[in-house]
Amino acid sequence: MNRTPEQISLHEWDRLHDDLVAAGLPQPSYGGPLSRHVPDGDLRLPRLRYDNSPAALRLWNFLLTEEDRLAAARTEGKQLVGTMKDLGTVPVMAYSSPSLVAFYPDGAWWIPCVMELSAGLLEVADSLGIDESFCPVRAMLGAFLTEAHFPIPDLLTCNVGATCDDFSAIAQRLNGLGYPILWWESPHRRAPDPGEASVELPGGFVAPEAQVAFVHDELERVRRALAHIAGRTITDAMLAEGITTANKVRSTLDELRRLAYAAEPCPMPALEMLIAEMLAIHFCSDRDECLAVLDELLAEVRSRVDAGLGALAGGAVRVFWVNPVADLRVMNMLEQAGGRICGTEYLFCHALDPIPEDLPPMEALARMALADPMTGPTADRADRICRDIGLFGSEAVVVSQIPGASHCATEGAVIRDTVGARLGIPVTEIEVPPVADAMAPTIRNRLDALLETARARRETLSATHEPVRTTT
Amino acid sequence: MIGAGIDAGSRAIKVALYDDERDTVVATDVLDQGVEQVALAKGLFEKLLEDNGLDRGNVSRVVGTGYGRSILDFVDSTITEITCHARGVRRVSPGARTIIEIGGQDSKLIRLNPEGAVRDFAMNDRCAAGTGRFLEMVAARLDVPLEKLGELARGSHSPAPISSMCVVFAETEIIGLLASGSAPEDIVAGVQTAIVKRVAAMAGRTMDEPVSFTGGVAMVPGMVEALQDALGRPVSVATDPQMTGAVGASLLAANR
Repeated sequence: MNRTPEQISLHEWDRLHDDLVAAGLPQPSYGGPLSRHVPDGDLRLPRLRYDNSPAALRLWNFLLTEEDRLAAARTEGKQLVGTMKDLGTVPVMAYSSPSLVAFYPDGAWWIPCVMELSAGLLEVADSLGIDESFCPVRAMLGAFLTEAHFPIPDLLTCNVGATCDDFSAIAQRLNGLGYPILWWESPHRRAPDPGEASVELPGGFVAPEAQVAFVHDELERVRRALAHIAGRTITDAMLAEGITTANKVRSTLDELRRLAYAAEPCPMPALEMLIAEMLAIHFCSDRDECLAVLDELLAEVRSRVDAGLGALAGGAVRVFWVNPVADLRVMNMLEQAGGRICGTEYLFCHALDPIPEDLPPMEALARMALADPMTGPTADRADRICRDIGLFGSEAVVVSQIPGASHCATEGAVIRDTVGARLGIPVTEIEVPPVADAMAPTIRNRLDALLETARARRETLSATHEPVRTTT
Repeated sequence: MIGAGIDAGSRAIKVALYDDERDTVVATDVLDQGVEQVALAKGLFEKLLEDNGLDRGNVSRVVGTGYGRSILDFVDSTITEITCHARGVRRVSPGARTIIEIGGQDSKLIRLNPEGAVRDFAMNDRCAAGTGRFLEMVAARLDVPLEKLGELARGSHSPAPISSMCVVFAETEIIGLLASGSAPEDIVAGVQTAIVKRVAAMAGRTMDEPVSFTGGVAMVPGMVEALQDALGRPVSVATDPQMTGAVGASLLAANR
């Protein structure tokens, strides 16, 4: 069945699903029409626009059935690890043991959006004194107390120290409610002093050897805790295998990003790419299936690029996006305004870099953990953003603020100033709450203004025969 | 032919007609915004045409701008107020490198390149503390006409500190200040300072000159002086500052 790539509504997906199934589309166990998730409470789905490929359908169904997988894992006697705030390190370790399933309770931050606040999770957080002055990840507290979204994990870990302050406060509140947490600490990454022994981290930053050794020791505590609930040692060989598999996910995503963000016209919309990128850190609770889902998505993108087909019209303004949005609809909005994503930094760019396989595995994981953009200076993050803008030829930058997130209070100005000074491309900041409907006109206005500015710059550069694409 | 610009703002609708052949803005007009936004804008547009002996056949293109632009179903295209203000300022204040626009419900800082095109911008559309709404609130609370606020503030010797970042809470502060005997002129001066400080914060640490001040708030006496004090540099009020966006839209409508 030949289909022209395009974005379609949930209703249109249902019709297409029926056609595809009638034509013999093989479906995974979690397959089915997307609209079946709406009666479960996923009220936001009818308001989104979706890519019309079977690969995208599989991606969405994979995402929206994670709760079922976690419940099934518990029934099968697997041990559940709730890993918080490390963004891509502990799951690699946990999935190295066949009896462990890791997931991010932090992921509950999207429930208020997907369920359009109907689950009442934020109200539970409010009642615990964690109000809207905190990041929407506070929804996690409601998910723990209601037990309606994931089983209570057998082990909870949380990365603290140089990571997000408000997340740490939320996790401490959770701990105080009787959910014991294994805390492990990341120091604030700094440049080595003159003459100090140093190591290079994935992503290109350099850190003192002593900091890596500290994180290594912290992760050894995590390894012992994982082994304890798994009932068996997690050997270096098992970790090495886990790293290799994680790197397959990362390399697939790397190719997907390079293709999707560089090709003209845009072969895969922003929303599907956002969800795909997120798989790098959490595997959606099934590492092997995650790889299969990404392989199919990559194949779809590759075929579209080869055929010169796009899911969006050509000529869209190439936008680099910083931070994930609390309301998924905003990614659609960018495209409706005439933009497209060409490069992202969703807070976990380190989880898209390959984990070194030529090092002892714990050393490699420690280096990767310390490369987390949240643990270093915002200037480092801005450096990396500038570098990636050069890679993808972005023409404008959106810094999407997460309401209440402590890092967002300061990073926007640093990123804006750095990008403006080095690359001269326009930057705008928006703030996106979990349900942004009331703010949609102001968000759209900023996006419109940004895209207009970028288009005018493109025309000027074109008239002066300067390259439109930006390089560092 | 005539290029028409319609700025559907939060507090007022502004219309400008630009004659491409004579390179002249032939007419402008303004009307308070209301519930029937489309009808009000269309009515003002048609009245302005009629008053100037024109009809729709004389108009080559109509560009809508402002927050209400997307619902103006009779315009040919829409452009954001960022671009329109930049274009308007380029006409009335060529050479300006920074625009500060304070309207009824938002404020903007627009950086221009030497050719007058938008280089970058920052907006405050989340907090009324940097907008005209703040002034309206204090005018109503003090029972002083908006146009008299500047005159009143000039009598202040000690502007009252307004610490709240939110207009709702600031109003509570003002009630407290009044109850404690603060002079109305000190309260008004304090509010003006609070507004311009919010706007100055958007500028960051660098700002190219000359700086042009646009938007309805630029017409309120005393605001430009307060802005100059906050920024520590000269600021000039654009010609007919409330109309800058509509004029820019009319120029863009005429492909100017």
